[in-house]
Amino acid sequence: METRKYEITYIIRPDIEESAKSELVDRFDKVLTDNGANIAESKDWSTRRFAYPIEKYTEGTYHVVTLTTDTDEALNEFDRLAKFNDDILRHMIVKLDA
Amino acid sequence: MAQQRRGGRRRRKVDFIAANHIEYIDYKDTDLLRRFISERGKILPRRVTGTSAKNQRKLTVAIKRARIMGLLPFVAED
Repeated sequence: METRKYEITYIIRPDIEESAKSELVDRFDKVLTDNGANIAESKDWSTRRFAYPIEKYTEGTYHVVTLTTDTDEALNEFDRLAKFNDDILRHMIVKLDA
Repeated sequence: MAQQRRGGRRRRKVDFIAANHIEYIDYKDTDLLRRFISERGKILPRRVTGTSAKNQRKLTVAIKRARIMGLLPFVAED
């Protein structure tokens, strides 16, 4: 597989404590790096109101990670863990072209 | 209707995305995407916005992604 750029955006629960949040972000960054991905950037985008309620919440913190990887392991593992993590309301992995 | 228009100049449609040299339409850019949806939250057709076919395809993908991530509504109530 070719080395490609990806962008992962995930929404973190709004009522999480600051320490638990950074711990969560670190843990998920580590999941990516441990599976052979290079993180270019990992930062909070903003806390926004949703256009419609998601899991009874009306707002959430968006966290954006850009990374490069040549295998799909990191992405699959991230996806698997994010799906059953209660602090992550939703996540999306997109491929960045060019 | 364009055909029924006699005389009077028809307004030239501009492809907003091409005019602003937007190469990649980011689904997180809601201010941009909002230009292309109706008040109800529906994606506006090309004939209304003047977007090229190529850009319209990119645009629909971006809008649908934004909807999934809760940035844009699937349906907007009044």
